[in-house]
Amino acid sequence: MTALAKLTDRFTEADIDDEIVVMRLDNGEFFSLAGTGAIIWRLIDGTRDRKGLLTALAGEFDGDEAEIASDVDEFLAQLKETGLLAG
Amino acid sequence: MMERETHVSFGQVPHSLFDDLLGEMSWQLSDDRFLLRGEGDHYFLYCRGEGITVERGENIDVSEESLWLNGRVYSAIASMNGLMPIHASAVAFDDKVFAFTAPAGGGKSTLVAALANHGLPMFCDDTLLLDPSDSDRILCLPGHKRLKLRPDAVGLTCAVPREKVSKTVDKFYAEPAAGDVGVALPLGELVFLETGPQPVIAPIAGAERFVRMQDDHYTAHLFAEARKFDRAGLFTHLARMATQIPMARFVRPVDAASFEEGVELVANRVKSRGLT
Repeated sequence: MTALAKLTDRFTEADIDDEIVVMRLDNGEFFSLAGTGAIIWRLIDGTRDRKGLLTALAGEFDGDEAEIASDVDEFLAQLKETGLLAG
Repeated sequence: MMERETHVSFGQVPHSLFDDLLGEMSWQLSDDRFLLRGEGDHYFLYCRGEGITVERGENIDVSEESLWLNGRVYSAIASMNGLMPIHASAVAFDDKVFAFTAPAGGGKSTLVAALANHGLPMFCDDTLLLDPSDSDRILCLPGHKRLKLRPDAVGLTCAVPREKVSKTVDKFYAEPAAGDVGVALPLGELVFLETGPQPVIAPIAGAERFVRMQDDHYTAHLFAEARKFDRAGLFTHLARMATQIPMARFVRPVDAASFEEGVELVANRVKSRGLT
């Protein structure tokens, strides 16, 4: 599968404590990523596809794999919808 | 630098920097000039490297002049010269500055005056100038304004009142009981004053620190315009401030009965944070 890729020319970001603040450059809209969202965001580094992402997350969290996959898919869809992720 | 740039002379000034006429209580900013119009025909022009020229039209209230000069004009000059003014009053302890920010009337000056009774000298009143030129830390420049208190705050803090601030402003100048500090110091913490049922102080962390950096009042806008930030540049600046400035919120009821309890809480925090 194709590696998940951030649309890095469309946003800028900053780490503040354990959270990440992301701003879309075209409209100035802000997003705050904390907890699991911040972990997933950091794991999307251009080398992992969805399966690789889930494998990496399995090492971080105990829990039902199907449930984790569902949550990840929902989060990835949100990132695509907000224009931060290719696909 | 600020002393040199804020030198005041009197004379005629242009009434606009651009084609548009300047309305009362508004300002214009160009690369090297700032023009403010107060009430009526009261104009303040700052030219970089030349200081301030004040034009007094007919029927202006001269007693308001120092408020304009020490307020918006001073903040504009600071911003145009790389300093970041924020709406805060502050005390100093152990070579660090502890600043308190809130909207106008939010209790900044009253708190600083009361902290003097706990041995904490005033660093500034109402406007705190931050110098971000050192990438490793945020330095604070000592205040240029005298402490101003409402009559009820004078009673609450036992400060010694001096003359009235102006004909129309119901505040008095007052001397901070623990004196003031006149040297630049690093910023120890920025505390946001809020109202709530009982006095409590809690740290602010994560993305909220970034949001809080946009929470400041007119000065943030002035600074952003003077620095000519684009969207990404402003983001980088705010993120740096959010990362380097420790922040907390001080929540307290606005009533005289619990005032001293809250002041003691803040004094203890300042003294404990100052020693870390």
